[in-house]
Amino acid sequence: MEALKTVNEPIQYIVIKLGDEQYGIDIRYIENIVRMQRITRVPKMPEYIKGVINLRGEVVPVMSLRLKMYLPEDELTKNSRIIILKLEQGAIGVLVDEVREVVTLGEEQIEKVSYSAYEENFISGVGKVGEELISLLDLNAVVGTTTQA
Amino acid sequence: MDVSQYLEIFLDETSEHLQNLNDQILVLEQEPENMDTINEIFRAAHSLKGMAGTMGYKRMQTLTHDMENVFSEVRNGNIKVDSDMIDILFQCLDALEQYTELIRQTSDEGTEDNENLIKALNEILSGQKKGTEPAAKEETAAVAAQEAPSDGDKWKDIHLGDPEKHVFREAVKQGKNVFGITVKVQESCLLKAARAFLVFKAVEEIGEIIVSSPSAQDVEDEKFDLDFSLLVITEKSLDDLIKAASNVSEIDKVTGGVVAVDEEPAVQEVAVQEGETTAVATAEIASASNEKTTTAPAKTEKKAASKPIVNRTVRVDIEKLDVLMNLVSELIIAKNSLVSATEAQGSASSAVNEQVGYLESVTTSLHESVMKVRMVPIESVVSKFPRMIRDLSKKLDKKMELYMSGEETELDRTVVDEIGDPLMHLLRNSADHGLESAAVRKERGKPEVGSIFLDAYQDGNNVVIEVRDDGNGIDTEKIKKKALDKGIITPEAAELMSEKEIIDLLFHAGFSTADKVSDVSGRGVGLDVVKSKIEALSGEVEVKSSFGEGSTWTIRLPLTLAIIQALMVIVGDEKYAISLSAIQGIEDIENSSIKLVQNKEVINLRGSVIPIIRLNEVLDIETEKQDRDHLIVVVVRKGDKLAGLVVDELIGQQEIVIKPLGKYINKSKLISGATILGDGEVALILDSNALI
Repeated sequence: MEALKTVNEPIQYIVIKLGDEQYGIDIRYIENIVRMQRITRVPKMPEYIKGVINLRGEVVPVMSLRLKMYLPEDELTKNSRIIILKLEQGAIGVLVDEVREVVTLGEEQIEKVSYSAYEENFISGVGKVGEELISLLDLNAVVGTTTQA
Repeated sequence: MDVSQYLEIFLDETSEHLQNLNDQILVLEQEPENMDTINEIFRAAHSLKGMAGTMGYKRMQTLTHDMENVFSEVRNGNIKVDSDMIDILFQCLDALEQYTELIRQTSDEGTEDNENLIKALNEILSGQKKGTEPAAKEETAAVAAQEAPSDGDKWKDIHLGDPEKHVFREAVKQGKNVFGITVKVQESCLLKAARAFLVFKAVEEIGEIIVSSPSAQDVEDEKFDLDFSLLVITEKSLDDLIKAASNVSEIDKVTGGVVAVDEEPAVQEVAVQEGETTAVATAEIASASNEKTTTAPAKTEKKAASKPIVNRTVRVDIEKLDVLMNLVSELIIAKNSLVSATEAQGSASSAVNEQVGYLESVTTSLHESVMKVRMVPIESVVSKFPRMIRDLSKKLDKKMELYMSGEETELDRTVVDEIGDPLMHLLRNSADHGLESAAVRKERGKPEVGSIFLDAYQDGNNVVIEVRDDGNGIDTEKIKKKALDKGIITPEAAELMSEKEIIDLLFHAGFSTADKVSDVSGRGVGLDVVKSKIEALSGEVEVKSSFGEGSTWTIRLPLTLAIIQALMVIVGDEKYAISLSAIQGIEDIENSSIKLVQNKEVINLRGSVIPIIRLNEVLDIETEKQDRDHLIVVVVRKGDKLAGLVVDELIGQQEIVIKPLGKYINKSKLISGATILGDGEVALILDSNALI
């Protein structure tokens, strides 16, 4: 992503939790964070597409990050949130367990990952904040491939 | 082109000028020497004269002309303003107002010549020795302008395509003349487009305009500077032509010459002129589409009573209408929320319910009105087709005739703009592939002249456009062979395909059955483009054919795209909307009356066997209600096919706003969109066409 190519500027990430792992989403792609609400299922869609929601009069699809990344099915709690991403293909919501904080990562704090052995790679790098590690999501990889599903 | 479309502008501006004149003459009465006022009056009178002349209102023109002469003399200081003169001027204004009112009501200025007023004006003038001079000057100036040597013969710059060249060669062969003229209008001219129209009309009376530069459309839209050029075929001489054009007033000068037509032996080919907007074609379209106001105001001697009354109209940008439509959509969503909120309260007072009901009927009417504003007749698109078929007939060397009906059928403006190309493809397809050559037709006992029909009509919330021909029909064997050759289907699949499935192959991208690839059709891009274009408009296209007898292409389009009436149903714990326009009826069916045919569930509904589709199975919904003794079946229709959709419960009819699902979910064929219900929940809209 171009966000990582323009190296000099520190980038803000929203840190979310999926299970025990922490992930970072580039804040520039985030339009909104909304509470869990009723999702209308759309038939004949891949399992990770949970359905559509009404976001202030617009119909926006929602996908499960967990299912997309081959993690166990979501457990909805009071901490569950839908993060609305504004990407080139339009708006899409991603379902996460919890939204924790905003961190600013400079270039020196991000470690690029070489392509792993996995077929799909959803991570563009790993950020280090103190002792904690945050996997930075490659949004195009996470969301973009749904169109071919 | 037609002056009638300028009638509204003319009336508005005339009223303005008359008001202005009234005010200024009042001032003049008080301050007879005020030069500014006199100049202002002169300008207004001059504009009025010009506009009246442009619109062909001779009596108005004469009267204003004489008034202008008087003002001109006043301005030059040759006449002093006195109260008698002011009286007469006011009488003139009253007379002009009468003309205007008559024109507004009947689009005719009437037959009152107001001779006494003209006489009075002339008496004022003849009171001065030099009275008539300005008019004479003007005339000599006009003559001089006509005879002025040409400096810019822009018509020579017109680029000629092959079709035009061919037409010109044909004309020369027939002993006609081909001339080019460049017409320059005066800089002071107010309604350039109207002037240009009068020139077009004058020229068309003695010849045929083949090329116009800028195009006739642009000229009509006033997209030209001060001059435009025409290439004309006529039997008359160049002088006659120039005279005809320059007889129109406010024309500065007309220059012309003979167009050199190269005499190379022509290849036997007349390319189709579909792309060319010739003046003739556009003139036809415009005059046809202005049906209501087509009164040819130039012919003022007709009886006033027979003329239709001018509709008062405003031209509105389509984008503004889109904004309006979106706001109406939002309003309907808000209304739906209010309705469900009051229902949820349960104990709402009857006064509230009454008002909500009233609000509901108002929003529905509002939506209908906005929709109507966006509707235009398909005439503007189809009126170019007769000419196209005529040209195709020559080019293909087949005799054919196009019969059209239902041109007045109205569709949403955005749909009308898009429908032209697909229809053109289908017509060309019929002309090229459908109709047989005259010899074959004779052999088959058909009339030598092939017939192509284009019928449009409204069917519920849909508009149907049919393109039909009495030609060869579709040769399914040929299609099968072609599809096999091209590797679109496998031999095994070909064996199993029904006739209909084979015909549907025609819509496959890259398919063309024409043995010879011509430039009329047969590029293999036509039919799949037709299909995708129609589907993009939420419509569908079907073809029926019987070999040897002809084929029928049926295009079905929704009347409106954004807001529909829908039936809300429940399956399991999910709500779905089904477009009311697709619904034939609702039936209560006993479970035992469902029969199996070829392992598929069907019911016998009043003599017709229709398949049953269990929505819970299709949509992967768990429900137990469909095992009951009685089933609720919504009968939907696609073309003339029916199917019964089994649902759990009916909620009722509702006006819904269609929202797109976004690009991430476009793969879902069963769902055509989503809508937001009154309680904020999203419900999906079932595409019943995809189910059948």
